[in-house]
Amino acid sequence: MVMTAKSKYLGVLMCAGFLGLSLLLPALLQAKTRACVPFHLRTEDGKIINPLTGENADQPYSTRQTCGACHNYDQITKGYHFQQGWNRIKDDFNKKKPWVLSDGMMGKF
Amino acid sequence: MAKKQNKTPDEIDLTTFAFTASGDPKTPGVPGCGGCHPGGGGLEFDRDGKRYDQRLKADPSLAQSLNGDYYQSKWDKTGVVEADCFICHLPGYNFKERNIQLQSLNFKWASVAAAGVGLVSGVVKEGQQPKVVYNKRLFNEDGKVVLDLAYPPPAENCVFCHGMSDMKKRGFSWDDRINPDVHNMQGMNCAHCHPSIEDKKLKITKEEHNFAKGHEFVSTVADNLDHTIKTCKQCHEEGYMGATRPQHLSIRPNHLEKLACEVCHIPTLHRAAFEGFDVTTGQMVNYPKLGAKKIGAEFNWQPAFQRDEHGKLWPVNRFNSVFFTNQDQDGINYPLFARELKKGYEKAKGRLKPKNPMKPEVHTPEQIKIILSAFSETLKGDKRFQQVKPYYHKGGMMYYLDAKGEVVSGKDTTWATQIEGFNINHNVAPASQALGANGCADCHSDTAHMFKGQIVTDMFGPGGKPVTTAAGRLFGCQPWAYTFNQIHQLYLTPYVSWGILLLVFVLVLHYTGQGPKVADFYAAPGEIQRFSLAERWTHLGRMVTFLALFFTGYIFFYNNVTMLRLFFGSQNTAVILHWVAGLIFVAASSVSFGLWYKDAKFVAYDREWLQKRGGYIGGKEVEVPAGRLNAGQKIFFWLTMFLSLIMGATGILLIFKNSLPLTLNCFLSTVHGFFAIIFVAAVIAHAYLGTIANPGTWSAMVDGKVSRLWAKKHHSEWYKETMAGKGDEE
Repeated sequence: MVMTAKSKYLGVLMCAGFLGLSLLLPALLQAKTRACVPFHLRTEDGKIINPLTGENADQPYSTRQTCGACHNYDQITKGYHFQQGWNRIKDDFNKKKPWVLSDGMMGKF
Repeated sequence: MAKKQNKTPDEIDLTTFAFTASGDPKTPGVPGCGGCHPGGGGLEFDRDGKRYDQRLKADPSLAQSLNGDYYQSKWDKTGVVEADCFICHLPGYNFKERNIQLQSLNFKWASVAAAGVGLVSGVVKEGQQPKVVYNKRLFNEDGKVVLDLAYPPPAENCVFCHGMSDMKKRGFSWDDRINPDVHNMQGMNCAHCHPSIEDKKLKITKEEHNFAKGHEFVSTVADNLDHTIKTCKQCHEEGYMGATRPQHLSIRPNHLEKLACEVCHIPTLHRAAFEGFDVTTGQMVNYPKLGAKKIGAEFNWQPAFQRDEHGKLWPVNRFNSVFFTNQDQDGINYPLFARELKKGYEKAKGRLKPKNPMKPEVHTPEQIKIILSAFSETLKGDKRFQQVKPYYHKGGMMYYLDAKGEVVSGKDTTWATQIEGFNINHNVAPASQALGANGCADCHSDTAHMFKGQIVTDMFGPGGKPVTTAAGRLFGCQPWAYTFNQIHQLYLTPYVSWGILLLVFVLVLHYTGQGPKVADFYAAPGEIQRFSLAERWTHLGRMVTFLALFFTGYIFFYNNVTMLRLFFGSQNTAVILHWVAGLIFVAASSVSFGLWYKDAKFVAYDREWLQKRGGYIGGKEVEVPAGRLNAGQKIFFWLTMFLSLIMGATGILLIFKNSLPLTLNCFLSTVHGFFAIIFVAAVIAHAYLGTIANPGTWSAMVDGKVSRLWAKKHHSEWYKETMAGKGDEE
């Protein structure tokens, strides 16, 4: 069988393609996520938790430290769902109904 | 929630620690308060802004203090609950596991277990130190965890809390074929309508995670965020997400102003909400909708309706609360704590002997006396009160014991009676199922729920059975005005057309049976001036404006949208025409009073005219004496003066109805409608008598002249006076 210059060129291209693909394979096999890229879990004092190496692997993660590494945790938790009236709570909030300490679920009753 | 500063343990009910760990040990997967609080805020920091765990470690004596944040707490062992982002953003989050962990006092471990990132063993509540074993399959080689987080959050996560609580409050469910929602069926999710908002006026940044919110009567949740959501109108006019533009061709336009969209578009809920709650036992016992097996069960029910501050009606679940307070020396009724109720109920239970100990349903005077006596006994020595005077609140009534220990009852005048319903704004039906899709009778009929539907106002009334009232009675109108209006709407309106037709039929019978006056003066020459130009113009003005008022009024009376659009294009055009015609009519009526009141005074010979019934009955030609106006015309004149006064006064006030109280509007519109019917009937009779019943009479209102013969025949005394004045007696 005689190989033409054209088929040689195609063969080289295919080899290069396979080689490139094999180099990319580990990255392609890494799990992907929709919202957040893979991230390190962190303990309350900010240390990385790595169960594969056992580093702090017996500690619960802290969302303040873990999510807060990329997101503004303090700003996010100003929202009502997190405060539920706690940011306005005070003992003399309502003089007509002294048991009402805020206008949210934390303090309303 | 306990105050921060307390003088006695009796003052402390729910500390933040107890709030976080609350829940029923029998159902550990069901959330208490802390389960649905995502963490952060009051579950992380005390009222001084310090982390609970760190502060208690530094000062363990706080747990023995009366500080409402630390009293009998174990924050140093449980840790705090930081904001758990995964509750909302992680599909498949195990909410039940979160609640189990919180109730085990494994606060800082709850997220690990619920997110499924690791296993947690050990229970702080049992004095253990929990341990974590992470699921290595979720980690990449570099030790980074891979979680397929969702942005925006999936609805499935929102309903961890909102599904359960809002089912109870308003029969809400999502992704539910039994209880569908038209927006859900179009693929919409919670975040489409409730996105994170950014508002400079409210000083809210998008990152702050404050979510757009609609209208809510019961003010327990983020009132400052009310009305930040896009309204139905905005979406459906702007075409947000391809929303269709509604036509509402068959709906009377003012209904779109007076009724929230939800009133018609959420006609029925298909899962049972709660009818109310009873805390007599010291536990919150929720009652499902009357007739339903349990809360959340498949069950069809229709909302009650409540007015907002602008007078607009909204559909609500109007719940009934059964609870106890103690009136202290300051005159304020303080709600009793669960532990106080429980203790008191235990004392009363033996004497009450309820069929179901969890549902004592206290309602007879004897039962009320027993329970109030038990609470009086329980509260003695309670240091949070200076005075022991327990009150029982139920069905809009309050009960307490007098000095002799007898039950005193009365209409509840305390804050406890200020019941507002939970708004219903989900589970929207397709337009074809909305109220009005089948015509006005969807609401305006004697069986329609809108007015006649029965709403529970007392879960266990004097006979132990639920007490209900008609939905329309809760609109905010005074009962007497509502009854007045209902008589008009349900018993008068349907028969008015038949009544008018009957009148016309009677007149036809008269014309064909008794016949018109024999003397025919059509061809008689006009010889005597009967009506001046002013009188004729005034009559013409009243006649034309009356026809306009009748035509527009008829359309309003029957909500005839087809005629409205055909002749006027819009409601506003017809309304303005009605107003203008009404004002001209009132002015013309005032002028006619001035022109004719002297002629309309009754004189002696009118008695003879009335005795002979004007010669209209009997079929014989009878001579009847009459002045310029005969007795019948005088009666008609005074009747129309009276009716004009009533219609004018009520009509002018109704122009400003948006500024008037509902009860007054209800009264005015009923009076206006009722007397309009009488007016129309009177005018039809007048028109008959002024035209074909008395041939040749109508011309007097055209050129103002009548023949001598006509005058002599119909108004003999006036004819004599006129001729005497002219010196030309025939």
